[in-house]
Amino acid sequence: MSEHRISLIVNGRERELWVDAQQSLLEVLRTEGGATEVKLGCGEGVCGTCAVLLDGEPVNACLVFAVQADGASITTVRGLAPEGELHPLQKAFLEHAGSQCGFCTPGMILTAHWYLERHPEAGREEIRAALAGNLCRCTGYTKILDAVEAYRDACQEAHIGS
Amino acid sequence: MYAAAFDYVRAASWDDAVSALAQAGDDARVIAGGQSLVPMMALGIAQPSALIDIGRVDRPRIERRDGTLVLSALTRHVDLEHSDEVKQACPMLAQAAGLIGNVRVRHRGTIGGSLAHAEPTAELPCVAIAHRATVHARSTEGERAIPADELFVTHFTTTLTPGEIITNVELPALRGRQGSCFIELARRPGDFAMVNVAALVTLDEASRLDEARVVVGATSDRPADHSVSAGPFVGEPVDERTAAELARRVAGEAEIGPSSHATAEYRREMVAVLVKRALIAAAGQVPGT
Amino acid sequence: MAVEEVRIESGRATRRAPHRDFVEKVAGTLRYADDWGLPGMLHGVVVRAQTPSARIVNIDVSAARAVRGVHAVLTAADIPHNAIHDEASGLGIDPVIQPVLAADRVRYDGEPVAAVAAETPLAAEEAAALVEVEYEEEPGVFDPEQALEPDAPRVHDRGNRYVTWRSAVGDVEAAMARADVLVEETYRSQRVDHAYLEPEAGIGWIDSDGVLTLRVATQVIEHAREIAEILELPHSRVRVIAAYMGGGFGGKEDMTVEPYLAALVWKTRRAVRMVWTRQESLLARQKRHPFVMHYRTGALDDGTIVAQDIRILGDAGAYPLLSSRVLFAAAVNATGPYRCTDARVESIAAFTNTVPTSAMRGFGAMQVVFAYESQIDRVAQVLGLDPAEVRERNFVARGDRRVTGEEIDTEPGTRECLRRVLDELGEPARPSGPGRRVGRGFACSMQPYGRSVFFADRASCWIGLENDGTMVVRAGVTDLGAGQAASLANIAGEVLGVTVENTSVHIGDSALTPLTGGTFATRQLYMSGNATLKVARILRDKLAPVAAELLGCEPGELEFAENRVTVAAHTDRGVTMAELSREAQDRGVHPYHHGTFEAETGSFDPTTGEGRTYPDLTHGAHGAEVEVDEETGEVRILKYVACHDVGRAIDLQRVEGQIQGAVAQGIGYALSETIDTVDGVVSSTLFADYLIPTSLDLPDIKAIGLELYPGKGPLGARGIGEPPIGPPAATLASAIEDATGIRLRELPMSPERLRAALRDRVA
Repeated sequence: MSEHRISLIVNGRERELWVDAQQSLLEVLRTEGGATEVKLGCGEGVCGTCAVLLDGEPVNACLVFAVQADGASITTVRGLAPEGELHPLQKAFLEHAGSQCGFCTPGMILTAHWYLERHPEAGREEIRAALAGNLCRCTGYTKILDAVEAYRDACQEAHIGS
Repeated sequence: MYAAAFDYVRAASWDDAVSALAQAGDDARVIAGGQSLVPMMALGIAQPSALIDIGRVDRPRIERRDGTLVLSALTRHVDLEHSDEVKQACPMLAQAAGLIGNVRVRHRGTIGGSLAHAEPTAELPCVAIAHRATVHARSTEGERAIPADELFVTHFTTTLTPGEIITNVELPALRGRQGSCFIELARRPGDFAMVNVAALVTLDEASRLDEARVVVGATSDRPADHSVSAGPFVGEPVDERTAAELARRVAGEAEIGPSSHATAEYRREMVAVLVKRALIAAAGQVPGT
Repeated sequence: MAVEEVRIESGRATRRAPHRDFVEKVAGTLRYADDWGLPGMLHGVVVRAQTPSARIVNIDVSAARAVRGVHAVLTAADIPHNAIHDEASGLGIDPVIQPVLAADRVRYDGEPVAAVAAETPLAAEEAAALVEVEYEEEPGVFDPEQALEPDAPRVHDRGNRYVTWRSAVGDVEAAMARADVLVEETYRSQRVDHAYLEPEAGIGWIDSDGVLTLRVATQVIEHAREIAEILELPHSRVRVIAAYMGGGFGGKEDMTVEPYLAALVWKTRRAVRMVWTRQESLLARQKRHPFVMHYRTGALDDGTIVAQDIRILGDAGAYPLLSSRVLFAAAVNATGPYRCTDARVESIAAFTNTVPTSAMRGFGAMQVVFAYESQIDRVAQVLGLDPAEVRERNFVARGDRRVTGEEIDTEPGTRECLRRVLDELGEPARPSGPGRRVGRGFACSMQPYGRSVFFADRASCWIGLENDGTMVVRAGVTDLGAGQAASLANIAGEVLGVTVENTSVHIGDSALTPLTGGTFATRQLYMSGNATLKVARILRDKLAPVAAELLGCEPGELEFAENRVTVAAHTDRGVTMAELSREAQDRGVHPYHHGTFEAETGSFDPTTGEGRTYPDLTHGAHGAEVEVDEETGEVRILKYVACHDVGRAIDLQRVEGQIQGAVAQGIGYALSETIDTVDGVVSSTLFADYLIPTSLDLPDIKAIGLELYPGKGPLGARGIGEPPIGPPAATLASAIEDATGIRLRELPMSPERLRAALRDRVA
């Protein structure tokens, strides 16, 4: 049994933590990391509810041992906007009912945001493909895509305006 | 849910990695992306005594050196998927990498890991064999070059010794009259493959078949090289008829092991369908056709 | 039920602020069952049998107990009343006892045999692995048809036939003799999993009043009584709080973690947390009943259906749970939305040594859609008639009687839904390449909403105004993501004119919120929605004279809106809800009310198969266009349209979301999802192998909620949670047949099945 000291930056806040080698980044984020928005859905890396950005890239927190992530910067959906405020993409999900039970929502919004940052002009079918790794059992995805497209359009309008 | 207890060592260099691995013993494993290994540990199927983390030993690196694509072992699937050099030199590698798991898996999984792990349904081993890749491995005893067709033994077993770590992979780039295609049959995008086919065809000046590399994976315990079966078809145009016949021959010879996903009959039938489609697509990729 | 003159605008017209729970969901701050802990809590794990049929010879927990950090290892002997039993049917079937922890027999692979609580999840897992169970394996039976054979191994001593429902009307054999064509087919559906993304989870503790409290992901807080019985505690000493669920779909309708959690809390006197792994959930948590459906349908040359003879066999798995009700729903709805004056239905639930089956969205009435729609398509085909016209000729109408003899007392809108769907499909697509074929299909259905009327269903609600005019609604509903809580805020808000921002809804607490019954059977809008509506109106009527006095007008002239009460047409004259609340209290008028909505009741006689069953039905039609790859058997859905008559849409956007989500589940059920077993053992417990649709497996789903004919929900609404899950399998079967000429009669319609049928056709 080993005890390791790691540091993580979670949504901009630095944390020093003691972890066992066997603990996943998911478990550590949820317990000591205060990030219960990162969910456990399957433990196999297929459902997407544990999606976080690790140094800016999407990973399965359930398939990374916390020790492997020492020194990394982790972003979750709560890192998109200051606490208490909603990011325009989150507002779009509200407006278009892109969330029902909400369990897939943190991973879904995080992934959609990450993707659109890199492909701000992506079409609906490209967005659909980009979200294929985030499972949803409630919405059938149609309103999720509506929300993401609405956000994309709003971003483009803002750019045209500025 | 929890992996069995293990010692964790982060290596700073290749030397560091191979000596840590040698010290840790035969039950130790190397981890980079962990996308195949960690689920097996979580389910209790793999129980390494120690993990040597090589994730920071090297960076993803893709280089074209004359006619060869040289990749560091830590090059990730997402890097291969989007690289212009890879799409140019070994397009089936980019194709195959893009089919692996989901976007999160592709940001962690590495080519070195995929080849060393030797999961029967994995895509990259098929590509490595089809492209006649060479895998470079290092241990405390030195370095070794292993041709891809000598690497895979059976499920989760390669010819790497317990102390060896893959450091980089070389693939001969496509030459002038070559085209390739990788096709996978999976039930949903990103699911475990039921059938993998890697096809690399070389056409002569008259656009007839000069050589076909055909590798079939996921149907048994390791990828199988069926290139020899193309022999009788040399000199034929790679049209629907030839491709279908060659495909039927390959399907007839293919080893189809047990699976809970589909019957052997269906999977054998799909080998024929995919080989046919891959050959036609590969031939269609040859410049000037 | 008369339609209220206070009209709620459909969601399109009114832009309401989103309810608080949706804000928290997008923000990531909503605390689901496992997002909430207590200091010093222990971690619980269930130990499960690894054989489908055996006697338990011995259980040795000594090694498990010795693991450092372990506080309890429980077996059957530690459970005061080791029985989960509930006469689920409401009609007097002998109950079959299901143990909390298996005592002397194991009846399915994965059945709980022990429970562990330890200081860390790791210690709990280690200890669980050290529980040693000695089994003496016994022959088991794994197929419901085999289970009914006389020499089959008995899952329970009383025999494997759990329940048989029979209903009949007219003279089936005489009608069959009159028929010009007879179509006889067998349809098979598979076991599927709810596959909600949130695993089963919860935390329990004993609070300062000695009340054993659970905060769990559950659809039914009334299980508090069951838990009390199991632990031999007074019912008033057990409290269940329902966290917002990350999906339910019927899979959190029976208890999941509750009995194990409660027992561990009770034994250790500590707070205990339990979360099931996905793999354990796929292995051992209750599934949808697979059905074998045998249909014989007689029709005249003009397409009129004159006779239906139907036999349904459902696999109940090892324990009944809600099997009696599921097979009852199947029986009552087996003839579909078609007139039938001569029909006979028999519906049987049989035990097998497999994972128990129970409630899942659609609940028996959805499986039969595949059968009755395929039958009517076959009738049309044999007669050379248009399948839409044949349906139109046979659709039930208000006043028609069902196989149970009861009258359909609201107007079905199936005809209009079908026409709308056929319009919406538009121009057919062209195949994308050689070897690809495009086809279209459609299907109709009806699905009950509300619980069977012989359950004397009721729901209560409390609504009150605070001193500052904000409103509180208390109702024991549980929210599984379909906006259950939000809809109560909307209904109360519309009647009392209080905005969503000024409303707090407290739900799901068996100690603190009036009980409404669980969230299932698409009953919540009907029951708690009606309860909220009733209570809100009573409260408004109580407050109206006060407001009228303050404003110097008649109560009938008042308008409640935007957190004020005004005189209609003189909106400058008004009082705020805050003023009204205080003025009312000064006059001794309490600004709150608690009330109960009683559903219509009726009785049903199981011996005759006659009586009243469900309060009402929701009707609809779906259409789809598919492209089939004939070489691989893969089906790609190009277009999908789903249309239901929802009576009145309280929130049209939510209605569309429910339709789209149910369709997605129905498509998974139709094409890819299955829990297969080999000798009773589930073939794969990996989530990677359980094929729910990804975003790339579905087209945009066009959802149309029509407001045609009022139902019995608040303001004439009809339930919409379940109805759209029924038609997809039949719709896609029809489209696949149009594309390939092959009609599949077994689910799922996997590429392999279709390919095999295509191969057989060529041969």
